[in-house]
Amino acid sequence: MQASRQKATREVSWRDSAPAYLFIAPAFILYALFFLWPLLHLVQLSTVKWKGVGPKVFVGLKNYLHILTSDPKFWLAFEHNVIWLFAAVVVPIVIGMFLAVLLARTPMHGRLLFRTIYFLPQVLSSVVVAVIWRGMYNPNYGAINSILRGIGLDFLARGWLGDRALVLPALFIAWSWIHYGFCMVIFIAALQSIDEVYFDAAKVDGANALQQTWYVALPFIRGPLATVILLTAIAAFQVFDLVFIITKGGPAGASLVLSVHMYDNAFRYDKVGQGAALAVFLGALISVLSIIFLRVRRRLEAD
Amino acid sequence: MELARRGAEKEDAGQVTRLGLWGFRTRRLWTTFAAVAFSLFVLVPFTWVIFTSVKSQKELSHNPLGVPMDWQWGNFAEAWTRGHFDRYFLNSILVAIPTVALVLVCSTLAAYAFSLMEFRGKNVLFIIFLVGLTIPLSILIIPLFYELLSLGLLNTYWALVLPQVAKTLPFGILLLRSFMEDFPTEILDAARIDGCSTWGLLYRVVVPLSAPALTSLLVFTFMWTWNQFVLPVVLIQDDAMRTLPVGLNFFQGRFVTDIPLMMAGAIISFLPIVLMYVFFQRQFIKGITAGAFK
Repeated sequence: MQASRQKATREVSWRDSAPAYLFIAPAFILYALFFLWPLLHLVQLSTVKWKGVGPKVFVGLKNYLHILTSDPKFWLAFEHNVIWLFAAVVVPIVIGMFLAVLLARTPMHGRLLFRTIYFLPQVLSSVVVAVIWRGMYNPNYGAINSILRGIGLDFLARGWLGDRALVLPALFIAWSWIHYGFCMVIFIAALQSIDEVYFDAAKVDGANALQQTWYVALPFIRGPLATVILLTAIAAFQVFDLVFIITKGGPAGASLVLSVHMYDNAFRYDKVGQGAALAVFLGALISVLSIIFLRVRRRLEAD
Repeated sequence: MELARRGAEKEDAGQVTRLGLWGFRTRRLWTTFAAVAFSLFVLVPFTWVIFTSVKSQKELSHNPLGVPMDWQWGNFAEAWTRGHFDRYFLNSILVAIPTVALVLVCSTLAAYAFSLMEFRGKNVLFIIFLVGLTIPLSILIIPLFYELLSLGLLNTYWALVLPQVAKTLPFGILLLRSFMEDFPTEILDAARIDGCSTWGLLYRVVVPLSAPALTSLLVFTFMWTWNQFVLPVVLIQDDAMRTLPVGLNFFQGRFVTDIPLMMAGAIISFLPIVLMYVFFQRQFIKGITAGAFK
């Protein structure tokens, strides 16, 4: 049945296809002009030496070679991205799972109110989040230092964003503050789709909420868990806004990430070709992650 | 959410039988306490922003945490006029409206073709659209800058509308297509037998039936456009064309020491989206879950 239907699709004549093309045309034209064309243009730009004005000189793969072999900032940024990626697939996901279990699997007052509050940071713009956390971290008036001073821990108060060792974790906390809500919402939906019968059996055996989650729920939600891990990984790898707004990669490159390095090359150092090569590199990595994601999910769904 | 509440009530009832009413109440007290404790992670920053926005600079220096003693509502008026937030706000609206309209119309048409019509190259075209799902706009910002420069569209609303529409279309088409594919064929067949043309079918049957998915798409497109940062920060240099996020970011640099004024500006820029979230919560949550599972 499925096969014959697909065959029928292939046999539609060009003439009979025309109305469908008309329906797709507006979307396709906009998508082609402002997404596909820039994508191709990007690949072309990554093969030239260009200052943004004047003639473009074709250099082949030299931009890529330069980035990989003689740009120390690239490896610094890459290292930060990798650290960020590993932290991102743990911290917001664990928080999100904990809150989902709390809201969906334990007795509680005001579930809806709490869900509304927990998800709130997810709808804010990155600049608003940046302003809020910059305020929290402010060495003089900031809430964090004020609280530390208030409870007599003055020695812990410091300029969080100016400290080379602390700036990346500080930015990561602000990023996690946005992202855990996404994980939580997916996990709540996944937990609610599990038949209660399975939990009842575990409860009879005296399993607590944690054990119920680990032994009963987890096998059921492997698919959504894989989805969340990979979407979080993709989001983490392309992190730009928060770092760009709060520190621009500073102090002295201590929080530099690839996307900010790309921006700097293209719009501050006038090395458009190298910026484009970095963008292609980032895009390729994100595509690889997406393909792994689709494969893994298909396998989990097939099980 | 209905379902969620029913599930929760059943769960509660089960717990009562197992633990006894007293045990159930004690446990509920503890879990609610845990929920309150975690909500401070969200509420403390928010409260701090709100309190700070109505303090004077002088008060902030000696009372950085507490309730404001002298509420300076004038901070908001000052951010609105002297901080140019009136203009930023207008720009954000003028960008969001055409973006949302274009995304809704183009996605509906394309999703209709992909779900309910047969044509050559259907799969290939669909896969081409799928490419746009994961590649973020930040990666395309370099070619977009030079493309819009050569089109003479830098510093115009179009520079913000068109790439945003192109980026959002794949999500919209995917969301609406999966929704339309689940339509009962009987309804569509009945409409066709009654002599409905393709347009009539779209207008009278498909669009009204898709209302929930269209609402989700509207809410998401609005939020993404309202919060968009990369596009305006690179494509807009003229202050009169700035949207709220870049306006706020620019403001941060200009009034770097005036923290209360900055917080007032932040509140002005997030208030519309937070109100929208509170009213359309269900669509937000549904759209997020649908987007992740499709």
